[in-house]
Amino acid sequence: MGKKTCWAIIIFTISVNVVMLQWTIEAFLGRDNEFVLIYSGIGIVMAFVAFLTYWNWRKIEYKEDK
Amino acid sequence: MTKECPKGRKAKQSKEDMVNLIDNVEQKDDLKYNRRAFLKSAVGASMALGLATVPFSVRAMMGLAEPDHDRVEIVRLDQLPEGESVTFYYPTENDPALLIHTVEGNLVAYNSACTHLMCPVFYQAEKDVLLCPCHKGYFDVNDGHPIEGPPQRELPLIEIEVDNGVVYATGRQYRHG
Repeated sequence: MGKKTCWAIIIFTISVNVVMLQWTIEAFLGRDNEFVLIYSGIGIVMAFVAFLTYWNWRKIEYKEDK
Repeated sequence: MTKECPKGRKAKQSKEDMVNLIDNVEQKDDLKYNRRAFLKSAVGASMALGLATVPFSVRAMMGLAEPDHDRVEIVRLDQLPEGESVTFYYPTENDPALLIHTVEGNLVAYNSACTHLMCPVFYQAEKDVLLCPCHKGYFDVNDGHPIEGPPQRELPLIEIEVDNGVVYATGRQYRHG
């Protein structure tokens, strides 16, 4: 996975998480508890994906410096 | 002929090599606001957004089961003719509700705070609908679901039972039908 792919994945996770936060709050206020859990789950997974992608990018980026 | 070094505001546009050395003054900014720092902030933002959903899911898990409510007397049935409604409070004093004896003779009860912006909902016997006058929201009197206007969700249903001519509230369902 190249650096550009890492950038794309991280930007993608931001956009997904913005939507997930909005939908989670909407479902919470509408007392749709199952949907709250689904959207929140997706948000957490995307946060995890962003972190792993960052870790991968970090390895590539700083290896070039050495 | 001597070459003069430009000073002040025009110093940066100069092609003189020695003058351009002052660019090093901004070295701190270059180290702080760069591509790497931007990506790190982006990752932080993504994680913060994702993790911000956690308190909602924890709260939702805690409230998955609606607690049992008391059985509360609302009104005697003979005091509520068809086409009339009566206001009561259930399950707490802060939850206004409507018991409606519809023109068709059915008994239904809902919490009367509109699901749009919490305005009180009224029963219109002429049209046999529930009306929120604030933004002209209409609800079906038979199931409490929105039929027109801004509300998107149904009114919470109050479960009722009739015992010896007295109507009791026994429970509440938020999402129903």
